[in-house]
Amino acid sequence: MSHDHDHDHGHNASAPMVDEISDFEALEIAVREICIEKGLFSAEDHRKFTEFAEHIGPTPAARMVAKAWLDPEYKKLVLTDAIAASKDVGVDYLNPTGFGTPSDYTDLRVLEDTPTVHHVVVCTLCSCYPRPILGFQPEWYRTPNYRRRIVRWPRQVLAEFGLTLPAEVDVRVEDSNQKCRFIVMPVRPAGTEGWTEDQLTEIVTRDCLIGVALPKPGVTSNLELPVHRAAKPAHH
Amino acid sequence: MSQHDRTHHARIATGKGDPQCFAGTAGGPSKFKVGDRVRIKDMPDIFYTRCQVYTRGAVGEVAVVTHESPAPEDEAWGHVDKSEWFYIVRFKQTDLWPEYPAAFAKDTLQTEFSERWLEAV
Repeated sequence: MSHDHDHDHGHNASAPMVDEISDFEALEIAVREICIEKGLFSAEDHRKFTEFAEHIGPTPAARMVAKAWLDPEYKKLVLTDAIAASKDVGVDYLNPTGFGTPSDYTDLRVLEDTPTVHHVVVCTLCSCYPRPILGFQPEWYRTPNYRRRIVRWPRQVLAEFGLTLPAEVDVRVEDSNQKCRFIVMPVRPAGTEGWTEDQLTEIVTRDCLIGVALPKPGVTSNLELPVHRAAKPAHH
Repeated sequence: MSQHDRTHHARIATGKGDPQCFAGTAGGPSKFKVGDRVRIKDMPDIFYTRCQVYTRGAVGEVAVVTHESPAPEDEAWGHVDKSEWFYIVRFKQTDLWPEYPAAFAKDTLQTEFSERWLEAV
C-alpha cells in the first residue's frame, strides 16, 4: 500500500505496518468519545460491545443450514423468514447483543443452492455481510480485488479458492448492494446420510456460507492450523 | 442542541429493524412483480448512489420484491420521508459483460435496486 492519503483506503486496506490511523478511524474515535462524554454509553459498554462483536462466529448460521437440511418445515421458515429462523439458532437479529441496538440492516435472506445452481455472495460497494449471524468478514471479502472480480469472472475467482464448478452447475452471483444480507445454503453433500445435526453443523464452514466453498465430509474448518506441542508441557 | 435529529433513525428502527420500520410507507403496491422484465435506467447520480454502473442499461428479470425503504440516494442525506419498493433483479452474465464466455451462458448475477432505477421493457 502507498501512503498517499488522497486515496480512499478506509477500512478496506490491510492494517498498516507503521503506527498511523485512517481518517475513518479518527472519526470513529471522535464519535465514540463524544458519545461517552454525552453519556449515551460508557467506555465499559463500548468494550463489551467490541468484544461481543469480535466473538461472533459463523456457527449459528451453520446450524441453521444443518437444521434446514434435516427438517423441511424449518427449511421453509429459513427461506421465507430468516430473521425468525435465526432465533431458533440463538441469534436475535433485532437485538443481537441484548444490550445495544442492531448495527446492521435486518433483511436477512438465505440463498438455496440446488444441484444445478450455486450461489456466491459479494458486496461490490463496500463489504455488506450478515455480521450478527456470521461474525466479521474475512479480510479477503473486504478487498477490492475480490469485490471487483467475483462479479465478472466468478468461475475463475472460485477456482482460486479451490472450487471448480462443472459447466452444468450455473453460477449465480449475489451482489449485496442494499439492505438485504445473504447466507448461502449449500446442497447437503453425499456421504452424510444418517448424520446428526451436530455433525452436519461442523462441515458448514464460513466459506460455504459465503459460497466460495462446498461442504465436504471431514472438512470442518476453513483453515487447518498446525498444532505445535509444548516442549515442556505443564503437569497438573 | 443541534438542529439535526440524530436519533431519528434509531428511534424508528429499534425493535422492528431497518428496513422493516419502513413497511407500508411507499404509498401503494409495487410497480413491478416477480418475473417482470426491466431495464436499469442510466440516470445521473450526484454524490451518492448504490446503483452499480455495471448494471446501467442492462435488461434483467425481477427475482424478488424485497421491501420498502427510502432510496439510498435520499437516505444518505437524511431524507427518509419518502419510500420506494426495492427489487432483486436477475441478469444473465452474458448481458452484463461482453467477454463472458458463451459456454456459461446460463450463469446469472442478482443485485438490488429501488424502483426509480427500473423501467418496464
